[in-house]
Amino acid sequence: MSTIALNVNRRAVELSAEPRTSLADFVRDKLDLTGTHLGCEHGVCGACTVLLDGVPARSCITYAAACEGADVTTIEGLDEDEVTVELRAAFTREHALQCGYCTPGMLVSARDLVLRLPDADERRIRVGMSGNLCRCTGYVGIVRAVQSVIEARRARNIGPLADGGRTGLGPVGSGRAASSRSEPRSAQQALAPASESATPGSIHDFTPATVLDQRFTLPHPPAKVFAMFDDIAGIASCLPGVALTGVPSPERVEGAIRVRLGPVAAAFEGAARVERDPVTLSGRIVGIGTDRRSHSATQGEIRYRLLPLEGGAATAVELSIGYTLTGMLAQIGRPGLVRDLARRLIAEFAVNLDRQMSGASSEQIAPAELSFWSIASDVLRARIARIFGRRSGAG
Amino acid sequence: MKPASFAYERPCDLTAALSMLAAGSGSAKIIAGGQSLGPMLNLRLVQPELIVDISALAELKRAEIFGGELVLGALVTHADIEDGRAADVTRGAMRGVAANIAYRAVRNRGTIGGSLSHADPAADWISALAALGARVTLRSLAGARTMPVEAFVVGALESALHTGEIVEAVHVPARSVSAHWGYAKSCRKTGEFAHAIGAVLIDPAAASARIVIGAIDTAPIVITDAAELFGGRIAADYKQRFDVRVADALLAKAGIDDAAQRHIHVGVLKRAVQEAAA
Repeated sequence: MSTIALNVNRRAVELSAEPRTSLADFVRDKLDLTGTHLGCEHGVCGACTVLLDGVPARSCITYAAACEGADVTTIEGLDEDEVTVELRAAFTREHALQCGYCTPGMLVSARDLVLRLPDADERRIRVGMSGNLCRCTGYVGIVRAVQSVIEARRARNIGPLADGGRTGLGPVGSGRAASSRSEPRSAQQALAPASESATPGSIHDFTPATVLDQRFTLPHPPAKVFAMFDDIAGIASCLPGVALTGVPSPERVEGAIRVRLGPVAAAFEGAARVERDPVTLSGRIVGIGTDRRSHSATQGEIRYRLLPLEGGAATAVELSIGYTLTGMLAQIGRPGLVRDLARRLIAEFAVNLDRQMSGASSEQIAPAELSFWSIASDVLRARIARIFGRRSGAG
Repeated sequence: MKPASFAYERPCDLTAALSMLAAGSGSAKIIAGGQSLGPMLNLRLVQPELIVDISALAELKRAEIFGGELVLGALVTHADIEDGRAADVTRGAMRGVAANIAYRAVRNRGTIGGSLSHADPAADWISALAALGARVTLRSLAGARTMPVEAFVVGALESALHTGEIVEAVHVPARSVSAHWGYAKSCRKTGEFAHAIGAVLIDPAAASARIVIGAIDTAPIVITDAAELFGGRIAADYKQRFDVRVADALLAKAGIDDAAQRHIHVGVLKRAVQEAAA
């Protein structure tokens, strides 16, 4: 907990809160200002929009600790505000609300448009209000209400604000505080105990939710590549982020794969089953893994097939990577990003593999963690996981 | 939808921030406006031990012109650029891009440095700044280095930033009087991340162009030797000479197998070229 001092609706408040407390939870739970509504809690719906230093900001993705010294105005603080008074009358007249859940955020965003837009252009109003979602009205009444207030004010010769209502640079709400720190978390809430981790007795087949096809080539004959694929520890060392636990058998490996996509990091622990068919130079690895930190689980499978190139002097490796992800990391899906991650991963794998087959030692190869291959499936899935990651709107 | 617990520091200067970041060795995250990181924290996709809040650092809030080049501190917000509070050397090009990022409530806190650091392929600045020929300065306790924006973005959500390093400033060269600018993007819903981005800086007088095809799920395609896109030469009639087949081939080469996706990207790029010529 740390103490946060700021001004809410022109009143100085000083309260302790955890650093993770959003500004929305801060005003709702600690000040009983429940007019600020929470919808999506990740910056998309606009219900939580408040004024920070006089201009709109999302209070669900703005942490109270970052607002030290700021001026916060919630819908309750706009009772007497001249523009909001006009907007409330217009919202009533134009039927611009039904259930009212979005209305506090709508009014804050509408007020900003009334102050800034030069005229009541419908398109600009619609674009300007697009960050506030309403599931009742269909927006027609809301747009009309905003239009009517802008028209009325411009008719009274009240012009738009030229500077957007700001003079300084940088994120609104921040920059008025001295430095501060919360008590460092003690060795903390360590990660949840291992519990029954994902090293179950049997690994079942499954139907992947997503399948990616990838291909790379190696300047070595197929038989040599296929033999290499049987050396689980060697293969693992070519896969960045993979660590084996225990001694792998030809049919089963256990280990972990750390994956990172931007700020999203996961460590999937699990096991995989390995199948090979020397006749067709193909194989399959089916695995399962869990990331305890994010409570996410993945199943994955990699099917590979080796095809001769250049009269057998080189090999094309065809991979089909399938995965299913559940839990926290599955919340946001951007399959395109997963493809990019898998592409980069496989490119790295191919380079390492070539280096290993050309005689480099494994220390030279794997800079980071030990690694390996059944795990490959986990690895790939994991990456996949990272790939998930985001939306909303930072531009 | 609430973040996991984290410790929070608000350093008073950049050196202190870099020290905290270095001491956190990978488990610390920088937050500025928090408009990209905030959603990921709330969704618990990201669970750092420590958040280092740099949003108050005055040295990252500068906007100055040196020798025709604009230097924007990492904390300059999209709204600062949109409203013209930050200086401009692009004759309005950056203002236009900034005004269409997400929503006003997001632009009031979201920063140019944060957007670059996040390296989302669908975000606006990585494409727009690459087309403008901008460079980015990265700083760590060990010192600073500067690189072109197109080298900074490595892939989806992957940048050239090392552990302990942050984006300090963006350097934008002045747009010459004869250079035309066009920027187009495709969003199914206003303000969401783009599905396709086209950014073009074309100077027919100098027979040169910088063409960017962005939002392709990986680092944008940046073409600095662009004559082939315009039938072999860049001249006043570049709009008529724009060759969609060459653009399509570039996308196919970049691994975009879906013909419909390529069609959207080519169409958006064509709109950017038309805007430049208008």
